[in-house]
Amino acid sequence: MSNIWLICRRELASFFFSPVAYVVLGAWTLLLGVFYSGSFLNYAVISLQIMRNPQAASRLNLTATSAILSPVFSSTTVVLLFVVPLLTMRLFSEEKKQGTMELLLTYPIRDGELLMGKYLSVLMIYGVMLVLTFIYPAILGAFVSVDWGVVGASYLGLLLLGSAFLAVGMLASSLTSNQIVAAMISFMILLTSFVLDFLSVSAGPLMSQLLRHFSLGLHLRSFIQGIIDTRDLVFLVNVNILCLFLTKRSLEYYRWRG
Amino acid sequence: MIEVEGLTKFYGNMPGIQDVSFKVEEGEILGFLGPNGAGKSTTMRILTGYMPPTSGTVRLDGIDVIEKPLEVQARLGYLPENNPLYPEMTVLAYLDFVAAVKGLRGADKAAAIDRVVGGCGLGDVASRIIGHLSKGYRQRVGLAQALVNDPPILVLDEPTSGLDPAQIIEIRDLIRSLKGNHTIILSTHILPEVNVICDRVVVIHQGRIAADGALDALAAGVEDEETIRVSALGPAEAIRSGLASVTGVRSVSLKEDEAGEEVHLEVSAGKGRDIRPDLVSAVSAAGGRLTELYRERITLEDTFVKIIGGESRNQEDAAHV
Repeated sequence: MSNIWLICRRELASFFFSPVAYVVLGAWTLLLGVFYSGSFLNYAVISLQIMRNPQAASRLNLTATSAILSPVFSSTTVVLLFVVPLLTMRLFSEEKKQGTMELLLTYPIRDGELLMGKYLSVLMIYGVMLVLTFIYPAILGAFVSVDWGVVGASYLGLLLLGSAFLAVGMLASSLTSNQIVAAMISFMILLTSFVLDFLSVSAGPLMSQLLRHFSLGLHLRSFIQGIIDTRDLVFLVNVNILCLFLTKRSLEYYRWRG
Repeated sequence: MIEVEGLTKFYGNMPGIQDVSFKVEEGEILGFLGPNGAGKSTTMRILTGYMPPTSGTVRLDGIDVIEKPLEVQARLGYLPENNPLYPEMTVLAYLDFVAAVKGLRGADKAAAIDRVVGGCGLGDVASRIIGHLSKGYRQRVGLAQALVNDPPILVLDEPTSGLDPAQIIEIRDLIRSLKGNHTIILSTHILPEVNVICDRVVVIHQGRIAADGALDALAAGVEDEETIRVSALGPAEAIRSGLASVTGVRSVSLKEDEAGEEVHLEVSAGKGRDIRPDLVSAVSAAGGRLTELYRERITLEDTFVKIIGGESRNQEDAAHV
């Protein structure tokens, strides 16, 4: 455990030394701020319309949580698509480029500890990013009643989906010594998995089910509705495990090839 | 201390090294010599547990690297070629990280860092960012990270490459000061370095061991002939035939001289007996007056070139030198 923490701490120190950290964190809070503002304004417009047409209100079942927060939680995945590759691209690629990978692999640490340390570091950064976004539900909660159960489930879903994204990104970074290539690979994998459910519309029944199953973004839906579905939970955890396993294999291959 | 047996590494179908075997005794400094691309770095990478070999075994301190890499790596200090470092970290933060990863904690860690910062002359730059340091200082940081766990075994891959002459001398002195307490393998393609630092040399060429032994022994083994240069005033042809008749002389060649008056000759003789006094008498007997006579020193470069050049001619013999 202590080796994992050592690797993680060094990663964090290096990450916050680089300008990428501040660009990513800045872009993240700015974008989510824009999404939240949009959602607020949208809600205001809808509220006005409903005041003129009270019958519709009962049909819409409009709450602050479902009308303001849930749309933003869904949009967050889109931002994640762009942000995660930037977070993970340097994990292994930079070490390979600088040659520090060679030293790292001759220190008395296991490959598993190395990759868990690196994974933990991006997970912690992502955790901080999620905590930063909590300011919006908190502000909302100060004025209207918010369904905290739904918010909690949404954050759990975002954490799981994000961790799966990060694991994909780390795998991509372990495949190349070029950070740009690493970022592009993870972006392509994430984007493809994200749009799989668009293809499912025209596919046959079995194929369509498969496509929807492997569509990463769809697994967030139930969380955002406040439902913690074990199928989604298990799927996202499995994506993590698979990517970590493949990253370990990739490291072994890297060693073998020399 | 270090036992390497039948080490072979293939990169795809390309052999990196083939059947490399050697031993290093405790406290010895072994020079690992060879042209670029001969397989020095490959061998060192396998030694340090970075890369598994295709076949063969490596034991450091009696422990197999392939079976128990972590145990070996805890006893090891490694300075890779090109000295990779984290440019964004400060020297102290970096050494702290390395010391912790190598298993040092608390007061032991602090003491170890103090020791290498002092020993490697990093006191003035300890809190600076590595990326801002000069190449000489960075090399010292590289050595410091290798030394921080006070490892019994040190593997240094071209520790002086890319340094200026003053820095080279500093690093060499530093390495020499480690002698005795550490078993060191040092690779280089700078020949004088071997002369200055190493007890013994292993020459690797085209992925195979071309020579293994003490430096003098290697030179003696390679050269069975010595060259003596003679200059004299007098009749050229008479002097030449006079010298050729001295016992032990194998051949004499006359060198043309632009000035005309002085005669320059190159005498090749078998090794063993010192024939220089006989040559002096022979010159006088032929009616010449000796102006200069000296025996050519066999340089390390000659030895090296002979070993490498000879390897392709007589591979089996060379492998057992």
